Amino acid sequence: MDFILNPFVTLLTFLYRVFGNDMVLSIAVFTVLVRLLTLPLTLQQQRSTRAMQQIQPEMRRLQEKYKNDREKLAAEQMTLYREYGINPLGGCLPLLIQFPIFIALYQAINMALAATPTQMIDTAGRLLVPGLDSVIPLNNRWLGMDLTQPPNLNTVGTSIESFFPIILLGLVGITTWLQFKMTMPKPAAPSPDGKPDQAQAMTQSMGTIMPIMYVFFSLSFSVGLSIYFIVSNVVGIAQYAVLNRNKLPATPAEIVDKAAEKPADKALPAKGSAGSGASAAVKNVRPNTAAGKPSGNKPNGKPTAKASKAK
Amino acid sequence: MALMRSRTGFLAAALLLALALTACTGAPLEPSWGDISLLDNNILVTFGNVMIQLNPVDGSPVNLYDPEGQIRTDPATQTARRWEITGTDATTRFYQAPFLWDEDLLLAPSYDRKLVEIENSAARLVNVTGYPLPGHIVAPVLPADDLLYVPLSENDLLALNRDDLSQAWRFATRRGIWAEPLLVDDTLYVTSMDHNLYAVDSVTGQEIWRLDLGGAIASAPVLHDGALYIGNFARKLYKISLDGVILAEYSTVDWVWGTPTIVDDTLYAADLVGNVYALAIDGDGFVELWRQQTAARAIRPSVVVYQDRVIAASRDHFVYWLNRETGETIVRHDVRAEVMADLLLLEPTEGLDIREPLLLVSTMARDNLLFAFAADGNSEPRWKYPR
Repeated sequence: MDFILNPFVTLLTFLYRVFGNDMVLSIAVFTVLVRLLTLPLTLQQQRSTRAMQQIQPEMRRLQEKYKNDREKLAAEQMTLYREYGINPLGGCLPLLIQFPIFIALYQAINMALAATPTQMIDTAGRLLVPGLDSVIPLNNRWLGMDLTQPPNLNTVGTSIESFFPIILLGLVGITTWLQFKMTMPKPAAPSPDGKPDQAQAMTQSMGTIMPIMYVFFSLSFSVGLSIYFIVSNVVGIAQYAVLNRNKLPATPAEIVDKAAEKPADKALPAKGSAGSGASAAVKNVRPNTAAGKPSGNKPNGKPTAKASKAK
Repeated sequence: MALMRSRTGFLAAALLLALALTACTGAPLEPSWGDISLLDNNILVTFGNVMIQLNPVDGSPVNLYDPEGQIRTDPATQTARRWEITGTDATTRFYQAPFLWDEDLLLAPSYDRKLVEIENSAARLVNVTGYPLPGHIVAPVLPADDLLYVPLSENDLLALNRDDLSQAWRFATRRGIWAEPLLVDDTLYVTSMDHNLYAVDSVTGQEIWRLDLGGAIASAPVLHDGALYIGNFARKLYKISLDGVILAEYSTVDWVWGTPTIVDDTLYAADLVGNVYALAIDGDGFVELWRQQTAARAIRPSVVVYQDRVIAASRDHFVYWLNRETGETIVRHDVRAEVMADLLLLEPTEGLDIREPLLLVSTMARDNLLFAFAADGNSEPRWKYPR
């Protein structure tokens, strides 16, 4: 972990010095930098989420059709993913990659702030830029809270300052929920047989679980990490708003076009045969895409690069 | 996948993931390391929430005796009672040896903002909740005639009246004090993590002078021949006059944490990347006699000088015996855990019934807490605790 930790500790300490010995500001700037660094992953996650949402009607049809043949269902689902260029793990992978960053950041905050001798001795030798020793130890107090410790709820009610940990936890929960609400796809229409959609149910569960989980993390880890969560969520919301306004390239619209532009006999087997559904998918998918806007072709009428290549 | 299909299963999986991630960050570290000292000619080891007395001859736990000289027994188990204290409060952490407060009463500083009162003859906590303090303690308390000087690790130096532990005065530093103050006549020399060395009137708590040394200071100052010697995180060793003027300085490779050791006008010190230094103290400054990259990791404790050897212990699990003339390693011994606490050299005296000088090394692992080596390092440990 040293190859991640040492640059993190150095960068945090460097930002602390640059921003006038303000640790919260340096954590915030650090978070923005991490979010920018992981922007390609975020984009991939958003694309993947949208694409998955778009093929849900077809997925549901396959589930209904092969409900008694799990192997066949899995094979057909994989065919569908392949046809539309979707990586089923595309939505999870960016999240998984963020976890090591989050663990490293937790340790980096503790090491950089080093409230105790054992933490401080671990900081020694980690500063890769000469001269940063002069700002050690960093100020670990903020609004009456110790940035290296979990929020202290034992003193709530004794003073105005004592409510800050509650506010902090509230902000973690609210911003996590908000980010999730904004970035997750809107619920798809219910299936004709009225059965609950599995992916949709899972998404709804995530919407409840994620804020609770992050509040749990905030209660267990340091206040500094809670600040990371809040800033990261706010940046995520802003990123989504900006990207959404400018429209992501390679959105599900392309998927629709790809299917539409395929010859019927080549695109997918005819309706009723094994692996059917391309034409049905098109019919089902198109009304859902990008709020009914014309899609797939650029303004000049040329097909997108990806769609052309797919041919 | 079957688990993930149900909403409850998904919730359980997410919570398991959260718990696993919490576990990934490792068990909480002890905030500091222990201490070894002598009490009634027995070894007193303190670490975490445990404090135990050991026989210096063989490292066996010391038994408790009643006023008639009989071994006290535990009524429940009918076994001999040892001099051992375990903090009953989960937050109690003893990182420094207790000191004699009154005839049979010891006061032990606990990290968790309190002084704990102990009845020595019965090895019993008198007051479990202890006397509250306004901050954590990692440095030793300095007992003087009428006052106790208590350094707090986040901010101030407290002076408490010895009789009733009421506050006599409080001296504020911007950051914590991680080393024992030095009392010379009526002046306290206090090092602080706020980069300053302070001279403070020991009676009134008024600042006499302060000197910014450009880096945090976690080591105690040493007085030698009318000057103070000190190392810090600015990678420097200093010689400073008693009125606060830097007389000499020497640059080290990394941070210096351990208090320098001075023997025969030579200063010995170590840094946190494993270098050991020997500097001749000359009127105008320091003259480097040798510098050796000795250990693979930090050397936190002060080095010990014994006859023709310099002894250093490191986080790399080894204790090193170096040639005092050249700094070359003569022998090293593995203690199977990190060493952070200062070493203790015991020499035979009238009261201390040991056959040879012993070097005591305390580690950060409870199953290898204490090792006793012959001071020359020429053999395997004489004993270890626990066995």
